[in-house]
Order: sequence, then structure tokens, then C-alpha cells
Amino acid sequence: MNLHYLMNELYYQKRRTLTAILGLSIGIALLIILNALSMAYRQAAHAPLKEIGADITVQRPGDVPKDLAGAVFPCSAVTIRQSEVEKIQGLPGIRGVGKALLLWVFDPNRAWIVLGIEQHNTIGPAILRSSVTEGRFIEEGKSEALVEVAYARQFGIKLGDTISVADKKFPVVGFIDASRAAKIAVANVYLPLAEAQQMAASSKGLQSVSPYDPGDVNLLFIKADQEKITPLAASLKNILGKKATVATPDSFLKLLGSLFALSDKFTLAASLIAIIVAILIAFKTMAGNIAERAREIGVLKAVGWTNRNVVTQLLMESVVQCFLAGILGLLIALVVAFGLGFMKVNIPIPWDMAPTPHFLPGGGDQIFKTLRLPIHVPWTLALFSFVLSIVIGGMTGALLGRQIAKIKPSEVLRHE
Amino acid sequence: MSRSAILAGEGLSKQYGSLEVVKGVSISIDSGEFVCLVGKSGCGKTTLLSLLSGLERPTKGDVVLNGKKINGASEDELALFRRENVGFIFQSFNLIPTLSAWENVALPLFPIKMTAEERRRRATELLTQMELGHRMDHLPSALSGGEKQRVAIARALVNRPKIIFADEPTGNLDSATGDAIMDILNRLHSKEGVAILMVTHEVELAKTAERLIRMHDGEVIS
Repeated sequence: MNLHYLMNELYYQKRRTLTAILGLSIGIALLIILNALSMAYRQAAHAPLKEIGADITVQRPGDVPKDLAGAVFPCSAVTIRQSEVEKIQGLPGIRGVGKALLLWVFDPNRAWIVLGIEQHNTIGPAILRSSVTEGRFIEEGKSEALVEVAYARQFGIKLGDTISVADKKFPVVGFIDASRAAKIAVANVYLPLAEAQQMAASSKGLQSVSPYDPGDVNLLFIKADQEKITPLAASLKNILGKKATVATPDSFLKLLGSLFALSDKFTLAASLIAIIVAILIAFKTMAGNIAERAREIGVLKAVGWTNRNVVTQLLMESVVQCFLAGILGLLIALVVAFGLGFMKVNIPIPWDMAPTPHFLPGGGDQIFKTLRLPIHVPWTLALFSFVLSIVIGGMTGALLGRQIAKIKPSEVLRHE
Repeated sequence: MSRSAILAGEGLSKQYGSLEVVKGVSISIDSGEFVCLVGKSGCGKTTLLSLLSGLERPTKGDVVLNGKKINGASEDELALFRRENVGFIFQSFNLIPTLSAWENVALPLFPIKMTAEERRRRATELLTQMELGHRMDHLPSALSGGEKQRVAIARALVNRPKIIFADEPTGNLDSATGDAIMDILNRLHSKEGVAILMVTHEVELAKTAERLIRMHDGEVIS
């Protein structure tokens, strides 16, 4: 192989070289972008759960409360028994479980959305510790409350005030900014889980709809091995019944409704098409190149180049072209990915995971988790595409070797 | 075949389908001999040259080049044999458009293990002999027809061949330039002792050769 000859061919045959490089680079860029988009949507689908420190959330729908008085369960989240939680904790692939109790409390002059939380569990709503804007987070063993800052402003609640929820008094020790917090399990008031459990156990209205024992909860936040999320979702339904609402990243992905989010199959099919287009472009260019250079190949053979010499020369030209196309494709993909990174994604939160009663102001509105599309080109994908482009070059050159071998100098040099 | 023969064809025939282009031709060329093959267009001259140079395989007959029977050799064996023994000059020069003059001359040497300096030295030497020392780095597109053909002659000589096959080497040139090319070929033959088999349809040009072989309708007639 003569490197100088190779570089001269690429340099002086600019149109041919640029057509090949541009065509293939677009195929490579398409492959990278499609996969990066798919990964970005998958990552975005993790966001609503990730911000609550979980991979899966679980709740069980039940009956609508008969009377909107005192503490009741939202119909979307009724009792999950302690024994069921213990079974879930024993499932393979579970790395941790966070528990919470969501209540609607209807006092004579005010309605509260109350969330009982485990203060020291990093899985679940206690992750909101970082969203405290004033005061402090609730402490273990103390009967105290955190209030959502907008709610506090609306009702003139101040730090250090005492609020009465379901006839029990709680000092307000801090405010939480819900706009910065997770869209799942937001509430007006955050209490220690034990206090909320006591409130639920003593509510006759709640018991009449969904029998409840102290220690039971109605929201579970589960951290799990990533590859076991799907089988775990099925196991959870086996324990809690088919009607249980088990939210996983996949369920948010489906809600996104984007083509890229719909299925792995779409991305796979689109990637395959991009690869096939890239191969066809490389093949067509190379085949055209050989047809156009038949006389030149004839001369090479006439002056003593063996088939192997000629094939190696043209194969290396193809590999270098594809190598350059790989670099260009990667650059195009990086630029496009940078642009797409400014795109906003709205992930709808299903109504049954939104804690606000539909009959309260804002309760019927669809809520979204909005974030910038977390698109990036992982180095593994970049490397794969780059290697693929070189393989395409090599493959194309090698496949056309037979065509090169068929060229007879006596035929192509006959003028004359 | 005589002891000094460099090339011999025995009973050569070439058939394309039902069309027989070369019909049982026997020919012999001695070392250092300048032979012209003349005849009208389509009489089979170029085909005979292709058969004798190993570019094409005969349907019948044998070719012995530099003491080796070549018609049973594989494509790659033939290529290697041409690299070591044969030089070609074509009517349309057939220079590689993306290579400079010296690189075109060195083209047969590219597959050979040799330093780039040595290749360039050999090409420079030949181009200087062809009075093209000042055009070494020019692309073919920047050369005149006569210059292109001189580059092609230098290329034919770079592997120090025993015989040069020239197919209408002046066919694309004006008469003055054609005469100059013929002078170079005559000089090569007389000074370097290279055997030349030249195909032409111009009888006047052929008269400068030592021996004339006439072809008609695929057969040698004299």
C-alpha cells in the first residue's frame, strides 16, 4: 500500500472523496443521534422517580372516601399491609424500601394533604431534606411538622407557629419548597411517619373504607437493581394484586409518547436502517470508484501490481475515507446533541400519583416533571460508531476485491 | 526458438465467442531487437501484443517470455512476471492523474520493498534522460501530450525490462512530437539494448524498426 498515492487520490478527487465522506458521516451521525436520543429519553423517564430516590413506586387503589371529614386515604392509595411490605423487602433485586403514608385531612376550616415520612430513609420523601428553605427538617422522635412554603404563605403560617391537623397540634419547624421537590408525593404538611400512622389508625372514616392497622402504609418507594426492575414490577403485582399501581421508568417512558421513548425496537430498527444506509453509501461510492477507475486499475495490473496489491490500495482508501467519515459523523452528532440538549421534556405524572385531590384547586390539572433533555454521546457509543465506520470501510473494500480481481488490463486498456 | 530470443509465440490463437481475432500466429523476437507489428485497424495487432505480453491468455498456443512459458501462470504470477521483465507504452499514455510525473514513473516500483528515496532516484534519473527533470512534480494534467508519453516511456523503463511493448505510442501525438518519441525509442533500442515490440498502423513509422511484421485479418502475412 502506498500512502502517498492514497492521500493524493483522496485529495485530488475531492468531489468523490467528499461525497463518500459526507454520505457515510450522515449515516454514522444518524446512528449516534438516534441512540443518544433514545438513551436521553430513558434517562429522562428515570427523573420523576430518581428525584424521590427510588426506581419504583407502589400504591394500591381503593374506594372513594365516603365522607370527606377527618383523615382519609385518597382513592388512589389505600392500605399496604406491614406483612406485604416485609414480603416485598425479601424479594430478590430489592436494594431498599422507603415507606410513606399519604392522607387527606379534612378539618372543619381547612383541608390538608399530609405525608408521613421516614426522616432518615434516603429512599423516599425524606430526600426532600435538601428542599428545606427555612427552618430545619423534622427530627426523629419529635412530634413536629414541615409545611410547604406556598401553602404556608397562602394561609399565613409562620415558622414556630403551631398547626392543628386532625385535632393534633404540631409545631412548624421548617418550610419546604415543593416547586423544587419531587412531583410525586408532594404535600402541604410533612409529619413523622409514626404520627401520620397514628392519625390514620384513629380515623373511623378511613377504617370504614380501607381497614388499617398501625404499621401499615400506603406508599412505597423502592430502590432496585436496574436489570431487575421489570421482573420486580411483576412480583410486586403478585403480592399486592393486579390493580396495584407500580410505577417504573418504563411506565413514564410510555407516557412520554415520543417515538424514541416508545420502544427499544424502534431505536434498534432505526439504527439498523442508519447502518444499512451507511453501508450502501460506502458500497455505492466504492463500486462507482472502481468502475470509474477501471482503466487506472488496468494500468496498475499491467505494470506489475498483483490483485492483492490493488485490493489493498483501494481497501485502505476506503478505510481512510470511512475513518474520516467516522470523525465527521461523530462531530455532527456532538453538535446536534448539543442543540437537542436545549430541548425541554415534559414527563406527565399520572393522576393517581399526584397527591392533590381533584376537587381542590389545581387538583384536576395534569402535572408534569419538566426537564432539559439529558442527551449526551457516551464514549462507548462514540467508539462503537467510529469502529463501525472503519469496519464498513474495510468490509466494502474487501467485498469489492472480487470485482477488482475481475478487471482485465487487456480489456480496459484497449483504446484505442 | 533461437538462443537469443527474448520472446516467442507458437501457434497463437485468440477467439472471442465465434470470432477468431488471432489465427495461429507464430512469432519470435530476439534480445535487443526492434520489431514493428503493422496492419490495418482491427487486424488483431493489439490482441497479439496482449497475448505476447501476458495481459491476455491465448485460446491456443504458447508464449515463452525470457525463457519462461507464461500462458499457464496465474494472474498474480503474470503480474509479477510483467513487473520484472516487461514495460508498456500505451497510445493514451495511461498515466495516473493524481500522481506527479515522478510518481507515475515510480508506479511499478510501489509494490516492491524499496525506500522512497531509491524510487525517487530511479524515477528522477529516467525523467532527466527524457529531458523532463524540470517537470518531475507536475501532475499529468499540466503536461503536454509529448511530455506525457515521455513520462510513460520512463515508467516503462523503471523496472529495467527485457522488452518493451508499445501500442501505437505516437497515435495521440502530432507528427513532430511523434517523431521525437520515435527517436527516443530508437535510442533506447540502440543504446540500452532493450527489445521493443511496437504496434502501429503507420507504415512510415514502422520503417524505423529493424524488422517489420505485417498482419491481416488475424494472421501474419509477412
